[in-house]
Amino acid sequence: MNPLIFTTILMTVLLGTMIVMMSSHWLMIWIGFEMNLLAIIPILMKKYNPRTMEASTKYFLTQATASMLLMMAIIINLMHSGQWTITKVFNPTASIIMTSALAMKLGLTPFHFWVPEVTQGISLTSGLILLTWQKLAPMSILYQISPSINLNILLTMAVLSILVGGWGGLNQTQLRKIMAYSSIAHMGWMTAVLVYSPTLTMLNMLIYIMMTLTMFMLFIHSSSTTTLSLSHTWNKTPLTTTLILITLLSMGGLPPLSGFMPKWMIIQELTKNSSIILPTLMAIMALLNLYFYMRLTYSTSLTMFPSTNNMKMKWQFETKRITLLPPLIVMSSLLLPLTPMLSILD
Amino acid sequence: MMTYIVFILSVIFVVSFVGFSSKPSPIYGGLVLIVSGGVGCGIIMNFGGSFLGLMVFLIYLGGMLVVFGYTTAMATEQYPEVWVSNTTVMGVFLLGLLMEVMLVLYVLKSEEVGVVFKFSGVGDWAIYDTGDSGVFSEGIMGVAALYSYGAWVVIVTGWSLFVGVLVILEVTRGD
Repeated sequence: MNPLIFTTILMTVLLGTMIVMMSSHWLMIWIGFEMNLLAIIPILMKKYNPRTMEASTKYFLTQATASMLLMMAIIINLMHSGQWTITKVFNPTASIIMTSALAMKLGLTPFHFWVPEVTQGISLTSGLILLTWQKLAPMSILYQISPSINLNILLTMAVLSILVGGWGGLNQTQLRKIMAYSSIAHMGWMTAVLVYSPTLTMLNMLIYIMMTLTMFMLFIHSSSTTTLSLSHTWNKTPLTTTLILITLLSMGGLPPLSGFMPKWMIIQELTKNSSIILPTLMAIMALLNLYFYMRLTYSTSLTMFPSTNNMKMKWQFETKRITLLPPLIVMSSLLLPLTPMLSILD
Repeated sequence: MMTYIVFILSVIFVVSFVGFSSKPSPIYGGLVLIVSGGVGCGIIMNFGGSFLGLMVFLIYLGGMLVVFGYTTAMATEQYPEVWVSNTTVMGVFLLGLLMEVMLVLYVLKSEEVGVVFKFSGVGDWAIYDTGDSGVFSEGIMGVAALYSYGAWVVIVTGWSLFVGVLVILEVTRGD
């Protein structure tokens, strides 16, 4: 793609999300979502083959449906409250429709079916943008309407997302699909605590973005999109095998790595609000996630996976430059001792 | 009949929406879009928005739909699908018509209809002229406000349209 056009379109993606996060008028928020959606389509289609076209079409259809539902919820809210500012949503029907629309945009169950298919069809860099940046805008709207969200619907969607994210990722060997199911599960964790403490949602979002960025950067560095090609990392750059191990275990939520911090805080917040069964279920279902991360680390870092002999002698071509990988790795694994700092957020 | 003109126009509006969302060939979809655009213009005019209705006809029907019609005519096939040629299209069209008929009967018969919002019978659709629309029409004042207080909206929507064209060119250009 022409670099000038590519820069313009990428900046428009950023501008769309910024408009969503900064606006106080519902119509501007909707315009921001549409601008975001429109501008990310050519980024998803950077490589021109039928898979990316199909993935972009699927993404466009689901997100456009979600935008239409959002518009309907906005208009019902307008009818019942007479004003366009974003405070809380004044009508239960509008609140349910808006929550469903934002869940479709995030990829929560039962609207999660597009996430693995779209992530699989596009390149690694586009998948990175899809799974991290595109989650910011809907989450910011959920944060702003959190006082008026119907708790039953949101918690059902969250728990089902954690379940689907864990269970669905078990049978995958393609790395992009694994990251997609991981994204579904993490979105479930984020929305579970939204009504109780939106700050923890934002904390989880921050740490999730850091960990997902790290994982994708490591995948891009070794140009691997399957478990098999990731298992050849010991031959290409042996250091990244350790980094993959640490980051994957952090994503699984193991202490003493920073991925444990959001899960710990979320479980604590939920038990403070006298729900015991829910965080227990969530923690147990997060083990499914941990299993397929462990399988990746087993084949990549802990064993030398069986491969043919010519795979064991790889030529070193020029190294790709990966932006900010060392700080990302440090942040996605070593932040746990900083947890007492969260008290400044109250 | 004139008191219920908005209701009748809205029924025709929904029927024409059913007509193009049952997906015949785009040429016929465009035909029904013209009807729905004209009827929508009528609905807006009945609420006093004469300027907006004129915008619908001029810009939407006379600009965008004409361009759509030309591009569809360039890309059309030899035997385009009508509503009666394909069983699926006809089935969806009849289903949509059936649902609209049932909704209309529900509205006409019952005292209060509460689907998403409550309104009581057909009387809510009638336009009562409350008289005071002032010296200026709301439509023109809205445009004036758009270009003064709403400068940010103009910037954002203008940029979205520009980027829309860029995106479409980029997507159709291919490799």
